[in-house]
Parts: sequence; C-alpha cells; structure tokens
Amino acid sequence: MLAYLVRRISYGALTVLGVLFLLFILFFAITNPDDIARKALGEKAGPDVIAQWKTNHGYDRPLLFNNRTGVSGLAHLTDTLLFEHYRRMLTFDFGRSDADDAPIAQRILEGAGPSLSLTVPLFVLGLIVGVTLALFVAFFRETYIDWIVLVGCMLAMSVAILLYIIGGQYLIGMQLKWFPISGYDPNPAVVARFLALPVLVGVVSGFGADTRFYRTVFVEETGKDYVRTARAKGCGEIRVMVRHVLRNALIPILTNIVMAIPFLFTGALLLESFFGIPGLGSLTVEAIQGNDFSTLRTMVYIGALAFIIGQILTDISYTVADPRIRLS
Amino acid sequence: MLLTAAAGLLTLAACSNNPYPSADEDRKILYTSFQEAPRTLDPAVAYTTSSSVITGNVFDTLLEYHYRKRPYELIPGLARQVPEGRANADGTVNYRFELRAGVEFHEDPCFPPNAALGGRRTRHVTSADIAFQLMRIADPAINSPVRSNFSQVVGFAAFSKRLAEKRKLDPSFDGRPADAQYAEVGGIAGIRTPERNTLEIVLTHADPKILYWFAMPFTTPLPKETVAYYDGNQGRARLADHPIGTGPFILTIYEKQFRMILDRNPHWWGLADSKAPAVVLPVEGDPEDVSSGTIDKAYLGRPAPFLSRVEFRREREGIPRFNKFLQGYYDYGGIIKESFDAVIQNDRLSPLMRARGMRLDKSVEPSIFYIGFNMDDPTVGRAGGERSRKLRQAMSLVIDVKQYLELFLNGRGVPAQSLLPPGLYGYNRDYRNPFRKVDIDKARGLLKEAGYAGGIDPATGQPLRLTFDTGNTTTAGKLQYQFFINAWRQLGLDVELAATNYNQFQDKVRKGSYQIFTWGWIADYPDPENFLFLLQGAKARSNGNGPNTANFKDPDYDRLYDAMKNRTNDAERGRIIAEMLKILERRRPWIELYHREAYELSHGWLKNAKPTGLFSTPFKYLDVDATARAKSRLAWNQPVVWPAYVLLILAFAAIAPGIVTFYRERQ
Repeated sequence: MLAYLVRRISYGALTVLGVLFLLFILFFAITNPDDIARKALGEKAGPDVIAQWKTNHGYDRPLLFNNRTGVSGLAHLTDTLLFEHYRRMLTFDFGRSDADDAPIAQRILEGAGPSLSLTVPLFVLGLIVGVTLALFVAFFRETYIDWIVLVGCMLAMSVAILLYIIGGQYLIGMQLKWFPISGYDPNPAVVARFLALPVLVGVVSGFGADTRFYRTVFVEETGKDYVRTARAKGCGEIRVMVRHVLRNALIPILTNIVMAIPFLFTGALLLESFFGIPGLGSLTVEAIQGNDFSTLRTMVYIGALAFIIGQILTDISYTVADPRIRLS
Repeated sequence: MLLTAAAGLLTLAACSNNPYPSADEDRKILYTSFQEAPRTLDPAVAYTTSSSVITGNVFDTLLEYHYRKRPYELIPGLARQVPEGRANADGTVNYRFELRAGVEFHEDPCFPPNAALGGRRTRHVTSADIAFQLMRIADPAINSPVRSNFSQVVGFAAFSKRLAEKRKLDPSFDGRPADAQYAEVGGIAGIRTPERNTLEIVLTHADPKILYWFAMPFTTPLPKETVAYYDGNQGRARLADHPIGTGPFILTIYEKQFRMILDRNPHWWGLADSKAPAVVLPVEGDPEDVSSGTIDKAYLGRPAPFLSRVEFRREREGIPRFNKFLQGYYDYGGIIKESFDAVIQNDRLSPLMRARGMRLDKSVEPSIFYIGFNMDDPTVGRAGGERSRKLRQAMSLVIDVKQYLELFLNGRGVPAQSLLPPGLYGYNRDYRNPFRKVDIDKARGLLKEAGYAGGIDPATGQPLRLTFDTGNTTTAGKLQYQFFINAWRQLGLDVELAATNYNQFQDKVRKGSYQIFTWGWIADYPDPENFLFLLQGAKARSNGNGPNTANFKDPDYDRLYDAMKNRTNDAERGRIIAEMLKILERRRPWIELYHREAYELSHGWLKNAKPTGLFSTPFKYLDVDATARAKSRLAWNQPVVWPAYVLLILAFAAIAPGIVTFYRERQ
C-alpha cells in the first residue's frame, strides 16, 4: 500500500511538473510579456509605462537563460522566467494579479468561502437526489416510473447548463419571484436566500447524468446472487436496496464522489458568474475576461492539482469501500 | 415526505426575490450594478470606467465639468475659480489655483486624532497635498498612465529622472516615505505652493488643455498619510483598495468581488458652502434635459448631495442585471442586446416600458470609430499619390454606416462626417462630408480615374487585391468586417479579411505590414485636439508607436495642428479646425464611421440622471423617490406560489399509481 502510494504520488508530482511546463509555454513563450502588459494597461499606455509595468511584475527577465551583463553563475538559470515560474508555483507563492496587483493567494482564500458555500450544498443535494432517485427507479425498474424518469434524465442531460441558468433565473426569479435572480451576501443569516436558486439550478442540471449512472450501477447489483439470497431470507425490498445494494454499489459511487471533492474548491464557473457569487469560479472567469494571466495560470495549476489529488484519493477510497481491494 | 413538502411550501410562501434588506426600503439609497471590478482606486493610476464611478465621487478635483452644459465647460471645484494662464518673461506660463479653505479629508485611521477638529481623525487639505499627488504622477514607480500628459510642466521629466537615478544608486532610499523621497530630490520646479491654499503650475508654454487634467481624479489632493499607512502590510489595505479623498461620498464597503458602498460624507465642504458652483445643481444649462424630464425642475438651484448612499452590486452577466432592473432592484442601467427590441421600438421606449414609468436617455459619447488606411502602404498609401487617394475616396463612398449601425449596434451610434463628435468645439452639425455618403456611381467613376476600372488591377488583370487586417477573430467580429468587404465588392475590389489574434495583429501594426484596419478612440478631455492629434505626422505609428496608426503625414495638416493645439476656442481656432477637416476629407486616411451612442434606461423614481459621456456620473446630483420605488417593487414582485402546489400534485399523481401497481403485482 505504502509503496503504491509513493509511486502514485511520484507520478502525480511528475504530472504537476509537466503541467507547469505546459503553462509556461502557454503563458510566457506563446504570449509575449509585452502583450500581457499592453492588455493590463490598455491601448493608450506608452512604451515607458509598459516597460515599467513589466519590471514591476517581473516580466522583464529572459525566458530560459539570462545572459545579461552583471549576471553570473547559477543566476544565468535562476534569474529567468522559467525558474521563477516553477519556484513560485511549487512554493505556492502565486504573486500578484496582472490586473489589479492584488495578492493572488489572498484572492483565492477570499473566494474559497463563497465557492464552498455554493458547491458543498450543491454537491450534497445533488448526491442525495441522484442516489435517491436512482434507488427509486432501480426499485421500480421496468415499470413506467423507471421509463418516465429515464426519459426525464435524457432530456435533462440534453440541455446546456446555460439554458438552465437563464431559464431558472427567468422562471423562478423573474416570473415566480421566489428567490433573488442573482447576488450574494456573506452574512450567514441571509446567504441561503441567494444560494437557493443557483443550488436548485445546479441540482436540476446535474441530476440527469447522475441518476442514470447510479441507476445503472444499482440495477446491475440487483441482479446479483447476494440480492436474491437476501430476498430469499425474507429481507424487505427497501432493506435490500438500502442495506445491500447501496453498500455494494459504493465503489463506482465513491469514484464519482471523491473525484468531485477537490473540485468543490475551484468553484462553478458559470453558476458563480451568472448568479454573482464571488467565488473561485468567478475569479477564473474574470481572469479570462480581464486578461489576468497570472491569476489564470494559478487557477489552471490549482485545477490540475485538484485533479491529481482527486485521482489519488479515489484509489485510496477503494480500499476503504471494499477491504478485498489491495493496492500494490 | 408530505411534511417536508409542506414545510418547503411554507418556506416558499415567506420567500421574496428582494436582494436587499427590507429595513433599507425607505432610505435614499441609489442601487446600481457594476460588471468589472476596479483594477485600482489609486487616483494616480485609475483610468477605467469601472474605477471612475468610485474615484469620481470619492475624490474632489480643483475643477469640474458643468453638469448640464454641452459643449463641456469647466467650473470651479475645490478651486475658487478657473485660473487663466499668465505668461512670464521667459516664455513660461503660470496657472494659479486658489483652494477653498476648510476642506477636510474623509475621517480615517491613517490620520492622528485632530484636536482642532473635535478629535476626529482627519485634517484640512492644503495645496501641498495636490503637489504631492502631482509628484506621484511623475514618480516612475507609480507608473501613472498619464505621466506624459504633464510633460509640459517645468521640471516634471527631470524630477522623474532624478528620482529613478537616486533609487538606482541608493537602494535604501526607496524604503523612505514617498514625500521624503520627493523632497530629497528637490520636487518639481514647475509645481509651487507659495501659500497654504495656493498652488502654482508653471508650464514651458501656454497650454489651456492642462486645465482638463485638473478636472480628473488624477490631480486630486491626496494625503501623504494615506500613502504611508495603506501599504498592504500587517493586515492594512493597499492604497489601491482604500481611497481617502475629500469628496461628497466615502467608500465605506469595498468588497469588489460583489459589492461596493458609498456613504454620504457628513463633513463634505459643500455642506458648509451650499452656494458654491460645484455644490448646486445648476440652474443654467441644456433646457432640453429639464423639458424631457431627465432633470427634475424642482431640484434646480438646490445644494447637493441628495442621496444618503450609493450601493453597487456586482453583475457579471447582462441578462440577470437587466432582469433585476426590470424588477426595480436597480435604479438605472443599460440595455442588453437580447432585450433591445422589447425595450426600444421606433427609436423610443416601448409602450410596456413607458407604462412602468421608465425613461430613456441617449447621449453621444465623445468617440470616433473608423476604418483606417496604412499610408505607408504602396497601394493604398501616399506612395500611390493621386491614384491611391482616389481609391480611398471610392472605398469611402460605398460604406453605408447607417445600415451598419442598424445591423450590428441596434442603431446606437451617430454616423460620423468627420472625426470630431457632437459636443466638441469645432463640430459643425451642418457639415456634410462629400465622401461620407453612399454614392456607388461616383465611387466607380473615381475608381476608373484611379486606373482600377471595374475594380480591376491593370497589373494583374484581376480584381485589385487588398487586405483588411483585424485582431478580432470572433464570429460576430468577422461578420462586421464582412459587411465592409461586401460593400467594396460592389466596386469589384477583392478585399481579403486577415483575422489574427490580437497579439499577432499588434505585431503586424508594429512592423507596418497592414493595409486596412479599423479602430476607435474615446476622448480623454473635450478638446478637438484630443481627436486631431490622432493624425499628426509626428505621432505616426511608424515613428515610434504613436497613436497615428494610419501613419498619415501631411505638412499642411501638421502646420495647422501646431497652430491649433494650444489656442483657446476662438474664431481662428474654429477656422483652422475646419481647414484641417477639409484636408482629411480630401486625403481620406480614414473612413469615419460613427460616434458611439449610449442608451441609458432609468426608473421614474430616479431624479437628475443626466448622461455625462466624458466624465463619471456625479452621484451628488442624483436622488431617488424611495417611497415610489418601494411601492413599485411591491407591486411588481409578489411571489407566485401556486405552481409549487401544482408541481407537488403532479409528482404525486405520476408516482402513486406506479407504487400501488408495483405492490399489487408483488403480492
């Protein structure tokens, strides 16, 4: 187990280094620092202002090798954009935003709360709705209820999330006037009013795929021998579904859950943007729209880290869910 | 399950879509939105629309724009009067500002308690605070985008240079307070503070345009205490996020990811001097803004401010912002293209919007959008002589801007006859550019005279091949360029669209490898010079990254520009401008397209919201009828609960027979 973990983490570390190199090519080699400066300062900025901005933001270094006068020894390699990029990312010193000079780490910390306040209830409710509905249709499999829910799931999966968002805002916020169309308030006493609609929209937009996936898992399990045995022993249908089928179907469910958990921190791009929630999803969208390259590469890096961590956690979770599994 | 559903329904019944606390319902709070967070609120650096809504209301300036007069006119703000230049024997020119006495900065922990002001943490403004801010603009480390605009101040550039050199030579120098550094390098020779409330600016030559910069927050008084205190260390905010000014509003909450709140300054100088020009809502001005209801007649001559608070909520997307405006939760806003036809019909508000008491205000922005020719290009530029000129004239004659505006901008623009927009000195509403109307026959004739009969290039026997370069690769952008290309195709010209990403386009511009392009310009200040300089030969892009991207160089134009640029708006200046426009009319380095028009929607309860165009809205003049607003909001936003019951019944009706059947079969 330990050897497996060390190997798995080493692969992860190598992947991180690879991701960082790709980020370097994208954000430094393809995009010229002059262009980054011009986008940050606007078209009216003069050459001296651009040069000063590059100095202030550390973009005035050479890409790979520093051959400037006065530079000697290791500094030829360390006083470069490549080295500085790796150093900053690996030490989580993300520096300052290209757009407004604010410390990126602070912005991430500020955004994590609002993101989690949306993604955690969305995740938990989505899971409850998905699993419950899947158990329900698996229980009533091959009846018209199963058929109706499956068709509903297919329809739900076929609609783009943007339509759910705009439709939800129009129908529930604008026509029915149940909740505010958008907005946020950090006050815990009132935040639920603002989160109700995005959570509802998020659950509705996601239930189709989740329900279909979980239903497949449950239906496959219900055909197995141990289920027949449980029934033969006189177990009630609900007990069979909840105590036996659900428990044995945990591995694929866990895969889904554990993979999703790290991404709770990176927020929901469109939901946050349309509902005015100041989380990390919004931060990413803003970085894209505002040409804030330093924030954007940090968010991409964090996303990649979240993915790698999610994969490792998934592997570990298998052994927890099923003691027969041995990682080697 | 039923209990849960019932609880859900009961909760729903208590729900409301009101995003604000109900306790604020009757307060004089202006609610508006912002899409993009300000990048910085440091007045030496902030230069975007998103920041100016805050800096324009938190910082007072020595001069201000008259709220109701167009063309724009300067009035005294913190200064007692608008100064006039006084020539010195050595050719330099002095502008002397006399400041109002007794103006206080906003209360803030950066100041020590002031016994003279009742122990409040503030102090009076002096001319040294403005001098300090001007030195910050000159400071290369601040990197102010307007540094070059003050180069005519005596000793301005030399100060920047001395400061940079001193920092380079002595690394410990940079660690000292900014004001100490500035004093040590000797300050700026052309910025003097002979008395506590007197500021003198000495220019190398007469330049009345300098006064416009004193109507912008760049030149606001800034206390050195704020700069020293708000350094971003030990939990303190950064100056970029914590503006301390003297204005009628104080930024009390700045959570720029989702809300910003401006509260009325209880110690604003205008409260004690309620007759000052910058305090009173002007009686004189454009009569149409009163007759149209934009300005409420009852407010004329009354001292501002009228609001107690301005609350901005962040709306990144247009659709929710507009829907909340329709619900009455925002007091004013723009129109999104998705709803344009529902809101505007026959160029006025739709009956539905009028029935809700809304108002539409239009204003032409001081801007110009144009198609430019690279005059360094051998085919379309000056090397082609008369031939190229006639080609440019012919191409100008087939662009139907009115149709373009209808197709792509919902008609929001004024077709341009010259580069000067309405509202600026030198703009002549009766002027008709003979090459800015659609005349295909004349265009074909000119093309024939140019040697390209039917658009055929005699050198190849094929249609003349030209390239339209753009840095916009979006489908919407390409469609717009295709509109121009199709127009030129009517002449038989083969114009190819070279759409690259913005960086590659910039690179092409830097290298001069482009033929035709499109660009726009929004004025910094309301002077014709701020448009005419875009075609000055010395500012050609090929001469070192100047703004003259067309690389237009005409000795007559340049001579007239020099004669015009520093003149006051007298008859001679008007004559010179007309002559310059005639040169552009004939030589056609640009095809002038349109001046952008802003459409602003507001609810009937919002008072005095006149579009400002060039400067940010001074919230001090605005007011809301909070009672009328609360009444409308209540009427427009009653929750509709019955669909929840219907949904519940439908769900039950769909599932129940299945459950019954299932159990019956199992038994």
